[in-house]
Amino acid sequence: MLTKELFRRPKNELENYNKHFKAVLPDVPNELCVLCPVCKQTLFTGSLQENANVCPKCGHHFRINARQRIDMMTDEGTFVEFYGNILSKNPIQFPNYDEKLKQAQLASAEKEAVVCGTAKISGFDCALFVMDPYFMMGSMGTVVGEKITRIFEYATEHSMPVVGFTVSGGARMQEGILSLMQMAKTSGAVKLHSDAYNLYLAVLTDPTTGGVTASFAMEADIILAEPNALIGFAGPRVIEQTMRQKLPAGFQRSEFLLEKGFIDAIVNRKIQKATIARILSLHTKGESE
Amino acid sequence: MFSKILIANRGEIAVRIIRACKEMGVSSVAVFSEADKDSLHVSLADESVCIGPAPAKDSYLNMSAIISAAVATGAQAIHPGYGLLSENAGFAELCEKCKIVFIGPSADLIRKMGDKDIARKTMQSVGVPVVPGCDMITDPESAGREADRIGFPLLVKARAGGGGRGIRMVNAAQELENAVAAASTEAQNAFGDGAVYMEKYLSPVKHIEMQVLCDKYGAVVCLGERECSVQRKRQKMIEESPSPAVGEKTRQKMMDAATKAAKAVGYTNAGTVEFLLDTDGNFYFMEMNTRLQVEHPITEMVTGIDLVKWQIRIASGVPLSFTQEEVKIDGCAIECRINAENPNANFRPSCGKISFLHVPGGPWVRFDTALYQDYYVPPFYDSLIGKLIVHAKTREEAIRKMQAALCELVIEGVEHNAELQMDILNDKEFKSGDYYTNLIEKRG
Repeated sequence: MLTKELFRRPKNELENYNKHFKAVLPDVPNELCVLCPVCKQTLFTGSLQENANVCPKCGHHFRINARQRIDMMTDEGTFVEFYGNILSKNPIQFPNYDEKLKQAQLASAEKEAVVCGTAKISGFDCALFVMDPYFMMGSMGTVVGEKITRIFEYATEHSMPVVGFTVSGGARMQEGILSLMQMAKTSGAVKLHSDAYNLYLAVLTDPTTGGVTASFAMEADIILAEPNALIGFAGPRVIEQTMRQKLPAGFQRSEFLLEKGFIDAIVNRKIQKATIARILSLHTKGESE
Repeated sequence: MFSKILIANRGEIAVRIIRACKEMGVSSVAVFSEADKDSLHVSLADESVCIGPAPAKDSYLNMSAIISAAVATGAQAIHPGYGLLSENAGFAELCEKCKIVFIGPSADLIRKMGDKDIARKTMQSVGVPVVPGCDMITDPESAGREADRIGFPLLVKARAGGGGRGIRMVNAAQELENAVAAASTEAQNAFGDGAVYMEKYLSPVKHIEMQVLCDKYGAVVCLGERECSVQRKRQKMIEESPSPAVGEKTRQKMMDAATKAAKAVGYTNAGTVEFLLDTDGNFYFMEMNTRLQVEHPITEMVTGIDLVKWQIRIASGVPLSFTQEEVKIDGCAIECRINAENPNANFRPSCGKISFLHVPGGPWVRFDTALYQDYYVPPFYDSLIGKLIVHAKTREEAIRKMQAALCELVIEGVEHNAELQMDILNDKEFKSGDYYTNLIEKRG
């Protein structure tokens, strides 16, 4: 067996030694690395982005913002944003809400928690809404409800399918009952869109909870979800505390919901665009005779 | 000069680089997989860090583990050796971002030369001859037209190719469509890029490569050629320098071409320009390897220049201390690659414990290896276990010396190819020097 002590060290001085030379020590810039919260593997942001923000080791789907998702899912240069200038107010004078909105706008670089518009997905036209987790965890206030309602109305008017990506902590408590009313309003718009024989496809991403789950997220004709996404109404901690029972492993995760029939399929982010395009192709109206 | 270097490789090349560090007074950091904990490079280095489980993709190709090891030990530079991460532009870029010097050319250059299409076009633009061929194939009709122009037989090659993958030979027009599809699929799977082009299939040819060294201040020297025509399935077996087929005139032309090529792309550090040489003395650029080659020792033997030490010096900003005129090729050197494989069982790889080892000695005999008595050759990696190199005044003397040295080489415990190497050295065609890349194929 070889040991470290087996070999002597040569008595050689460093070649071309220059005492004025200042060595640069290695240093990993913070923004270069991320830790996968599931497998604890250190990942480089560059390679993570190339892999659709999915951990190459364990397949964990990292949260991404609305613009990243739009880039990933739509054909380049086809996205046209609608209703981009509607801003939230503080309708019930909730303390510190104005400040919170400002911070959320800074954190997400978005004006509100949902981005709406039209785009082409592999050549198929659709109306699109994409929620943003970095704006108050995609919570639904009056503006989010309004924008989603309007995009459904637009799609109904133009006989277009709607593709929606949800991520939300639920209704926005800072807007009180007004935010809860958005559940009914958006549901009404979804119903009218559906009654006009249009397709609505939702992709639920981690987390989709509360009032969003209880309204438009679960009302789609076809519901897809990302792997291991938390999808539910009340969160698991609240349920445990109320029921005083331990919940089964994987409770409210997309795999559990698929098993129980709440969603139609779990689709890895890397094949989502192709899957959505295929579904859209199957639901495109043929030429009338 | 760096005071500490991390060696991101294993086996004989890691040992070779650590030896250079020891001579230069540089501290060395070895990285190793769980399967390599008892390896020679681990004990020989001043420090060592385990970077993951046995499979290379989890250890020697695990960039985050290697970068972490460099940061933890305070290594200022990383020598990638050959293979593994040595031609990975992403890794070189990562090193740059982490303020670690990658001992080799810049990430941009690695990327440029890794794209065979760009490499070909760059060489053409500076007047270095390339194998007659065409641009990237876009559709079947134009492929057919181009193929007729180039003439059969031809090769369909992947833009991102390497290691012999993504290459198909086409003998007649009707084989073209299938070959393009097969090469493209293979390249897509291996490199994530299915783009292919076509090149005339030249035969018989010799594989001649030129070694260049370029410092950071624009100085370029060419250290002569290596002939690597003894190949089995595009894997080199025996290399020699100088080539018996290259006359002084051709050598000068090829050296000029290699120097021009290196200057054209603004190359730094050690690199190899590979050419095909046909029977009429015409040579064509094939590709540029942006790293240290396995067969670098034969160039060291005939020039007396330590390539690994110069790689380290150049990376730390030292200018070349000699000019092209001062480079003298002296005598002849031959290298035989010793692989742990059984030539009588279709070259099945072999692994196991080395129960007895005798390393040949004597004047001008060099054996680069990481083997030692009782070492266990693991099954996870490349089958190369050693390189036997000899140097003599003449080619004939070098062949005799190699025969004698191979006789003395005893490795018990694993199967290896030393006997086959003796047969090849004794081959009439090899001895005459008039042999081509099809030598092994012809021997059957």
